[in-house]
Amino acid sequence: MENIRNFCIIAHIDHGKSTLADRMLELTGVLHTTENAQVLDSMDLERERGITIKAKSVRMPFKSQDGKDYILNLIDTPGHVDFNYEVSRSLKACEGAILLVDASQGVEAQTIANAYLAIDAGLEIIPVINKIDLPNAMIDECRQQLQDSLGIPGNTALLVSAKDGKGVNDLLEAVVTLVPPPKGDVNEPLKCLIFDSFYDTYRGVIPHIRVFSGSLKHGDKIMIKSTGQVHEVDEVGYFTPALTPTEKIQAGEVGYVGAIIKKVGSIHVGDTIVSPDFPATPAIPGFRHSQPMVFCGIYPISTNDYVKLTAALEKFQLNDSSIVYEKESSAALGWGYRLGFMGMLHMEITLERLKREYGQELIATMPSVIYKVYTTDGQFSLIDNPSKFPDPSRIDRIEEPVVKLQVIVPNEFVGPVMELSDAKRAKLVAMDHPDRKRALLTYDFPLAEMITGYYDKLKSVSRGYASMDYEFTGYQAGDFVKVDILVKENQVDALSFISVRQSAQPKAKGLIHKLRKLIPRQMFEIPLQAAIGAKVIAREDIVALRKDVLAKCYGGDISRKRKLLEKQAEGKKKMKMVGAVVVPQEAFLLLLKMEE
Amino acid sequence: MRGLYVHIPFCVKKCAYCDFYSLPDRQSAMQSYVQALLIEAEKYQGLDFETLYFGGGTPSLLGAENLRVLSDGLRKLFRVGVTLSLDTNGTNVSGNLQRDSSLDFHRSQNDKTEATIEVNPESAAPDFLKAALECGFNRISIGVQSLNDAELKAVGRIHTATQAIDAVKQAQAAGFQNISCDLIIGLPGQTWRSLKSSISKLLALKIQHISVYCLSLENETPLADDPPENLPSDDKQVELFEKAAALLKSLGFGHYEISNFALPDYECQHNLNYWREGEYLGLGPAAASHLETIRFKNKPDLDVYLKRPTAQTTEVEQLDREDKAREETILRLRLLQEGINLSQLRQKYGMLPTQEIVDNLAAMAASGELTREGVTYRLHPAYIMTSNQIFARIMARD
Repeated sequence: MENIRNFCIIAHIDHGKSTLADRMLELTGVLHTTENAQVLDSMDLERERGITIKAKSVRMPFKSQDGKDYILNLIDTPGHVDFNYEVSRSLKACEGAILLVDASQGVEAQTIANAYLAIDAGLEIIPVINKIDLPNAMIDECRQQLQDSLGIPGNTALLVSAKDGKGVNDLLEAVVTLVPPPKGDVNEPLKCLIFDSFYDTYRGVIPHIRVFSGSLKHGDKIMIKSTGQVHEVDEVGYFTPALTPTEKIQAGEVGYVGAIIKKVGSIHVGDTIVSPDFPATPAIPGFRHSQPMVFCGIYPISTNDYVKLTAALEKFQLNDSSIVYEKESSAALGWGYRLGFMGMLHMEITLERLKREYGQELIATMPSVIYKVYTTDGQFSLIDNPSKFPDPSRIDRIEEPVVKLQVIVPNEFVGPVMELSDAKRAKLVAMDHPDRKRALLTYDFPLAEMITGYYDKLKSVSRGYASMDYEFTGYQAGDFVKVDILVKENQVDALSFISVRQSAQPKAKGLIHKLRKLIPRQMFEIPLQAAIGAKVIAREDIVALRKDVLAKCYGGDISRKRKLLEKQAEGKKKMKMVGAVVVPQEAFLLLLKMEE
Repeated sequence: MRGLYVHIPFCVKKCAYCDFYSLPDRQSAMQSYVQALLIEAEKYQGLDFETLYFGGGTPSLLGAENLRVLSDGLRKLFRVGVTLSLDTNGTNVSGNLQRDSSLDFHRSQNDKTEATIEVNPESAAPDFLKAALECGFNRISIGVQSLNDAELKAVGRIHTATQAIDAVKQAQAAGFQNISCDLIIGLPGQTWRSLKSSISKLLALKIQHISVYCLSLENETPLADDPPENLPSDDKQVELFEKAAALLKSLGFGHYEISNFALPDYECQHNLNYWREGEYLGLGPAAASHLETIRFKNKPDLDVYLKRPTAQTTEVEQLDREDKAREETILRLRLLQEGINLSQLRQKYGMLPTQEIVDNLAAMAASGELTREGVTYRLHPAYIMTSNQIFARIMARD
């Protein structure tokens, strides 16, 4: 156990975490070429967006200058703000963390948030300044920022260029000397932390584990602490990074355990694995079922594809158990699912992957947060779907989720960022300066406002310089109304939205106006209305279609004309019927763009 | 019933709205083009036709001499203008009758025998019209488009209203008794006043047939690329069209097809055949054909056509029975007076392939979009200008 080091790399997005991991793998001989760039980011989409969603780990053999052989377990952490909880669980599996800072960018919002998570978890922190090869590297500033904003002695920071490998060997040496070896007794009853899992078609759910005490081998029985389920161990092993079976894994080690766990929902990150012989072994503290924060409905374009969508979702959840979903039916869109995500980015990526990997065209409805709705009878319910809101007359008050948002932004963009945030009902609670050039703004921010394009706009008003991180803090009351949209007297549930009362009408007017432009003229007049309860707050009408005729000289070229009509018929198939009105799918995306 | 279409893809100048295959400045190729047409025609030697239609482009650019060479040549290859004994499906039972080259189109005993040539006002010279008559053409279609000079100019027509009126008079003087004129609705700056004036002036000339087309902005035409501001809106077009249709009807013209109006017995037989899912052969580049239920086209390329006129076939399309029945349904529904006879449709395609169409038509009759009389369905006049909505629903295959 003395020669094991369990560590992770924490960084702001794009500060070079994956590249550094690649270099380490090469240096330790786990990988031989640079061909498999960014091994830890195996999903295309992650690489595209530079984000690691799925944590993975790799076991690396390392011969140190001291002449001894070490086993270095690198535990990858999800790099996005939506996955705070998952990051905290990965940290729990380590004794040390490399805090990586991009020399050209400096300390960013996620650097701070992740560093605090690591400090709270009691990890040894190794500050590293990366990308020192860049011409605009500002090493001294970075050292100062580490000192000022985190209290980490900046002069101890190692200098690295993950791109060309410079300093990486020294860094590995530092891991060996600075990160304490794991503690834990092999002879104590079994206790393992699940910090990730994946699904294998043949072997079921395979948890990634850190063993804290005891050992595990083929044929052992294990118990999932939170559920009491017992499974028989089929295989244990390490990640090299491929799954490599071994005879047993024991206290201090990181690996996986295969136990033919067929049910996807039965394994949760943060849960503890114990031995059924010692069921009273205490759980590792901090476990919770990760709570989705953002919800949206997804619907197949053709109702015939519902079965296909169901299958796709089931398969999808195997790879990302943080997604929750349940059946939902919409009067306008038919049968679909309501999906819960850890955050906005998680939602975007998931929808993109669903479409890409499973070839599904989807209608995704406006994302919503969970509102606490107190009714006049003294009850309250958690409502994640505007269409489920009770009648306004029955509502006593409504509370919305609020997050603590931290934004780091260069001084010259403080104005635009504050303006943007004010428009989003954010309350500035603090303004600090991590260094002379930048400000750290702390906000109480309504989550609902954050999920409607705040991140993109933040990036755009700061020319890409702002960084952010957030965490859920609680609920606060507000004056909310539900706005319903009616298309030719039919309420389109998928277009209902929640708004603060004062901006309900301008939003409704904007939406109705866009709808009018989007819905094609049809054989009859179509009134479009927005209403709060029975009160109409906006209205526009689509006049009846008057011309759709082939009345030109077209000789004998009938095929071409027939094909045009067929295309017209095909196009209609892709639209949704709301009563007698044909509504293009784009209409259901309008809410997303409402504020543009 | 089978028709022969001959495409003359030449014009002096392209009109701003035109997306037909036609080339300006290529008239020097006219003579060799006529020869190429005859070579292509040879490929189909032995077929018989009841109608002939020279369209364009501008067929009047052929000139009298080329016209004679072309029609003489075609007459040697085909029997045109003789009604053969027909079976119920409209296909001829004996394609091998002895050819009689002495028959001229206009002398046929059969009413349905028709030979049309399109002319443009500026090239409707008396000697050409005389030659056309001598070559057996018994119907003339004049590209008038409007009798308002500003409107004509706005879309790049190279003739005036006066020239158009003269062309009609000259055709009559030459001896044509079946004259059709094209009008366009939706020309830049057009009003009901100007349209009404165009119609009234034309009818005063005692013509027998009017085609009323709605201007449409076709991709990659100058008009679509740079539409003038005074272009009437779609809604305005509909208003103009409906007024024009009402006026024509009040003056005794039957609205027999969406865009076509005729005095009784002057309906265009050649075009009627298109809408009855009939057979036709098209000669020349870009010409479309429909023979033995197969549709095909020639490539739209004059140069390759001149080199190998018999090897231009492209876009061959053979639909299954169900789609063929759908196609016939939407074509026949364009025939506002004739409509579609369900029992004939069923007889031709069978019960099963027509079942969905029959259900669809019944539902549309119930909702008022179609009218029904016995087994015949017709488009309700109120839905003419939105008929694509109906046709698209008939085309939709689940």
